[in-house]
Amino acid sequence: MSARVVGRPHPGIDAVEKVAGATTFIDDMALPGALTGMALRSPHPHARILNVDASAAERLPGVAAVLSRNNTPDAPFGIIDKDETALCREKARYAGDEIAAVAAADEDAAREALSLIRVEYEVLPTVADPFMAQAPDAPLVHDSVPGNAANEFHIRRGEVDAAFEAAHARFEEEFHTHLAHQAYLEPTGCAAQWHPDGRITIWGCLQSAFVIRLFMLAPAMGMAPDDFRVVQTKPGGAFGGKLDVKAALLAAMLSRAARRPVRFMLSLEEDLIAMRPRMPTHISLESAWTREGKLAGKRVGVVAENGAYSSLSPSIMSSVSLRPDNLYRTPAVEIRGKLLYTNVIPSGQMRGFGNVQATYAWESHLDGVADGLGMDPAELRLRNYTEKGDVSLHGWEIASCAVADATRYVMEKIDWKAGRARGGAGRGVGLASCIHVSGNKAAGVGLGRTDGEEPSSAVVRVDAEGGVEIRSGESDLGQGSANVMAYIAAEVMGIPAERFRVPPTDTDIMPFGLGAFASRITLIGGNAVKRAAEAARENLLEAAAELMEIPANELDIVEGEIQAKALPERRMSVGEVARRSGGAVEGGGKWLAGGVVPGRDKYGNASTTYSFSTHAAEVEVDMETGVVTVLRICCGHDPGRVINRLGAEGQVEGGAVQGMSFAMMENLAPVEGRLRGTNFHDYLMATSMDAPPIEHDFFESMDPHGPFGAKGLAEVAINPISAAVCNAVCHATGGARVRSLPISPERVLAAIEEARK
Amino acid sequence: MSERDMREIRLRVNGKEETLAARGEETLLRALRRIGYVEVKLSCEGGDCGACAVLLDGAAVNACLVFAAQADGAEVVTVRGIGTEEDLHPIQAQLVEKGGVQCGFCTPGIVVAAKALLDENPAPTREEIRRGLAGNLCRCTGYKKIFEAVEAAARQMGGGEDA
Repeated sequence: MSARVVGRPHPGIDAVEKVAGATTFIDDMALPGALTGMALRSPHPHARILNVDASAAERLPGVAAVLSRNNTPDAPFGIIDKDETALCREKARYAGDEIAAVAAADEDAAREALSLIRVEYEVLPTVADPFMAQAPDAPLVHDSVPGNAANEFHIRRGEVDAAFEAAHARFEEEFHTHLAHQAYLEPTGCAAQWHPDGRITIWGCLQSAFVIRLFMLAPAMGMAPDDFRVVQTKPGGAFGGKLDVKAALLAAMLSRAARRPVRFMLSLEEDLIAMRPRMPTHISLESAWTREGKLAGKRVGVVAENGAYSSLSPSIMSSVSLRPDNLYRTPAVEIRGKLLYTNVIPSGQMRGFGNVQATYAWESHLDGVADGLGMDPAELRLRNYTEKGDVSLHGWEIASCAVADATRYVMEKIDWKAGRARGGAGRGVGLASCIHVSGNKAAGVGLGRTDGEEPSSAVVRVDAEGGVEIRSGESDLGQGSANVMAYIAAEVMGIPAERFRVPPTDTDIMPFGLGAFASRITLIGGNAVKRAAEAARENLLEAAAELMEIPANELDIVEGEIQAKALPERRMSVGEVARRSGGAVEGGGKWLAGGVVPGRDKYGNASTTYSFSTHAAEVEVDMETGVVTVLRICCGHDPGRVINRLGAEGQVEGGAVQGMSFAMMENLAPVEGRLRGTNFHDYLMATSMDAPPIEHDFFESMDPHGPFGAKGLAEVAINPISAAVCNAVCHATGGARVRSLPISPERVLAAIEEARK
Repeated sequence: MSERDMREIRLRVNGKEETLAARGEETLLRALRRIGYVEVKLSCEGGDCGACAVLLDGAAVNACLVFAAQADGAEVVTVRGIGTEEDLHPIQAQLVEKGGVQCGFCTPGIVVAAKALLDENPAPTREEIRRGLAGNLCRCTGYKKIFEAVEAAARQMGGGEDA
């Protein structure tokens, strides 16, 4: 069909409000009579808590509630393992762990109250990293978990040993990734108001308003999920980090205790030391190849750093372990994954959900393989990519795929052949590809759904003024998914996009949705909205048919006017139809993710469909200092189909720069469990001075499952760039392979030295 | 808050006279937000991110690095003094048009920094724009569309390379 709205560049339905500074974020929201909530955090990475004496704090004027293990129940929660409590019980397990929380009249009183809480600690040895965690005499982070093993798995598919024996060539390498933060600019915050009927309203910058009730609020507070009304405020960035937000829980508990509204806003420092940064990993890779440069088999070993609590980390480790096996036709693989508790900030999900780490390692490894086989690295990839119609060895069904087109595009744009021919003199080019889930079926189950489904639902309502409201349980986290919904519905309904509103999620009003993660909103939420819009359109036409006395099938909606196809001058605005049909015309729709929930063997079509991308980078390396400058980035993406071109471009440009920033400079840098990057002058990230020119395009594979053919884009936009940059650095330096991120000048210099030997 | 620590401060914010009592250590950022100018965003409070940028007597400053008392008698302009929904400044209009906005949290500071840049240099090069925005972190956009918006605004305002 010829699209009127879909695929065109749109500025975003809330962009005007944002540039005028009129958007209300959580910290901008007034809540009359609200108390200030704050947490007392453990200064020690690992300590037994012998005693908590809060009596002086409780007596302080202006203090309305003081919570600690003394007056809260031992109610464990956690998405996969129930290993966490609202406030520390017998031990503090990382520097930043919440010991107590207070609600007081203002910030000064709250700070003073915290200073009056006396905690007696017995400091315990710190389990600083996963290797220390595995030592036979290692202290236990959780006394009930032997060997600090938070999770472990081992799978074999195909004849791995035979593949290695028969191989023409074998390669072996290890890679390491670091602890990096989502570093959204809006510090995390929530507000809560207890109501006399026992319910609690929570406002906050949350990626997932519905599910935080299921996995955190309800179990930790001994209440039913529906006892909480969670209202999303527009997040000032999230990138995965605002999914499990403990500020919501502490605000709610304090409000219940104080019988007053409570605001609980983290400082940037608290956010950096106590949210859920990207999981550090240690990845060993072995690969076996045929003479023709075909992949014959792999062995993958992953040791992942869980930090103090698990949350989603077992799933993230799984993603680190097996995602790239689905990008290339892989006949056999053996994977060992091990997730270890440490006394470091709990790690978690950040844009890519483990795939940034996995793609960095595997795509770096591939360039070494190409070198060893005497092949061009792009050609090696092109020989091995999966294609539409494939079922991967893990059971993933590839319903659409344009990765090869994306690769050929970036090769042309980066001037691959000429660039590769130079190399070695401080200037080089490199590329890398990725596959990513779009609508991960297992996510729903992991987050508390018991029916095995991954649903989204939406209501589209046309009001008497001709405006249209889309109510969806999904949550825009600032990336523009609300816009995508508006454009999908505008396309379906023939009503101008500017008339659409997509208010933030409110669990009392909106139909159910899981929220923003796993690149699922465009696909799953978008399909639900499309169905709701189709139903609303049908209802509008039927109502108009009665009012205009013309059969519905002879009517069409054009620019918000319902008109007779044969007699366009006979028309009625959608607002008038709504007004004369009881004040509003609605339509509802729901959509269930496709695929299956893989079992313990991790086999099965895990996601509705899959997205792809290839990134290329050209770099300059100062051979004397090791300083790397990224000169330009070229990207090709397969998002199925572009819904909003401007928004899609923004995802790609933002993802590539964020990924480059991760690879080159960001680092929370834990030392003995304590972080060094606790503000934005120690935690460096890309500024306007670092952002290189980016050229990119889309390769639309028209996915059969996606709304208008669209798939997810946010995460394929970040995954490959780390490896593309590292491959370019290796090419520029004549073989300096940096196997630990970030690629600091020191590491580049050391790798140059190593390559010269 | 004891009253003897308080000091009365008068300033003009977006053309409006404001009088407020501030403690010595209160920053301009905290004071502005306290009296309702919440479009000035609180993020790093260390001068690193630029989200709280305002024009102080015409110069872009991070409001978190200025004490409220230092702004006594000063003219403060926030993003809403530059333009509102009904009357967008070309910088704001072009940020919309070019897609230079995603989550929108850094945007008020970006608008202020870009305004200060164009006030000083009506026809900046791409490199000068990069430098002019170096104090403003944006985590969403990768900056490209922000650069394009500032270039387009400069052209629209009569500067820019084509002018």
